Amino acid sequence: MSAVDSAVTDRFIEILDRLGEKSIEDYYNPYQMFVWPDELPEDMFWMSQDLVSAHGTDLAEELGPSGMRSLSKWESINFYSLNVHGIRELLTEVISRIHMPGFEVPSDFFHHFIGEENEHMWFFAEFCRRYGKKIYQSGAPKLSRVEDTDVENFLVFARILLFEEMVDHYNLAMSEDESLHETIRQVNRIHHQDESRHIAFGRELVSLLYGTLRDRLDEARLREIEGYLKRYLVYSIQSFYNPYVYRDAGIADSLGFRGRLLADERRRPFERRAVRKPLSFLVRTGIFADDVLPTV
Amino acid sequence: MTSRLDPVREWILARHPELDDLDSHLDLIENRLIDSLTFIEFVFLIEQHSGESIPMDTIQVDDFRTLNSIGKRYFQLTD
Ligand SMILES: [Fe+2]
Ligand SMILES: [Fe+2]
Repeated sequence: MSAVDSAVTDRFIEILDRLGEKSIEDYYNPYQMFVWPDELPEDMFWMSQDLVSAHGTDLAEELGPSGMRSLSKWESINFYSLNVHGIRELLTEVISRIHMPGFEVPSDFFHHFIGEENEHMWFFAEFCRRYGKKIYQSGAPKLSRVEDTDVENFLVFARILLFEEMVDHYNLAMSEDESLHETIRQVNRIHHQDESRHIAFGRELVSLLYGTLRDRLDEARLREIEGYLKRYLVYSIQSFYNPYVYRDAGIADSLGFRGRLLADERRRPFERRAVRKPLSFLVRTGIFADDVLPTV
Repeated sequence: MTSRLDPVREWILARHPELDDLDSHLDLIENRLIDSLTFIEFVFLIEQHSGESIPMDTIQVDDFRTLNSIGKRYFQLTD
């Protein structure tokens, strides 16, 4: 059982200490922090225009400005719903590892992580329930386990990192978008601030865990891991094209609409933008041999 | 013989070039032809081709295990 403890370096411990201190310094009370107006204006975009899933396509033209505004509202509820479900999954994984053999060293940081994620989950759920009157459901069941514990540990933290990096692309853009309502900017800004610590931690941890795999596994198995993570990225990108969202936005053939967007080459540059940072990290660390994502 | 299930069969085969054909009773999940990352796409595909809406909260993974069970549950097919 190697997990983390047997692989730690001085650098890792130093960064953990620094990030733990930052967590304490930046600590805030989320239940008092936010200004929640009774409602948000329907005549504004709720999500940055270039983050809307139909942006840059003929379908955006077909919807027109008011259709795109409505879509932006429901896509923002979908984005926060994805966060709620993503956080539940990552909390489950981290909670099952904290203070267990092999995870003593990062456990102090896990306490910050778990506490902060619980609060993120609360404010994302709060936004959904206040302004969308719903949280979109998550459809992905857990179907199979990985037999090799080290590979399983690596994949768990790699998935968490990729999820947090993608979310951060949206958070950062929306926190800086002056056309959005202040409450929307605030939710995204505060999450972005906390996530910068989680992402810094995640990159260190993922690099460390990969080191142990690289020493032990053959090239074919390493490429299999690359293939899986690439499919995870594509799966994450596709979760932003939600047919239930299209239905709520008043689009008649929601699955057909989704299919047309997924097939539209003009969407690829926007999708690439959302995964640019994690992709370059994975290529730089040698976890990925190239930055080509599967198309099917 | 063609079947309304053909697009479903072809979708799986397209993702698994190592397979020549797909037995209707093969467990797609046990054999990892469908996993957590493809499950939702797979549900959407079945929804589109069966014309039946599949609300997320009604999903029973066992209904999706084999082409046979999918046919029975969503395409009103018998054995
Ligand atoms: Fe978070
Ligand atoms: Fe996080």
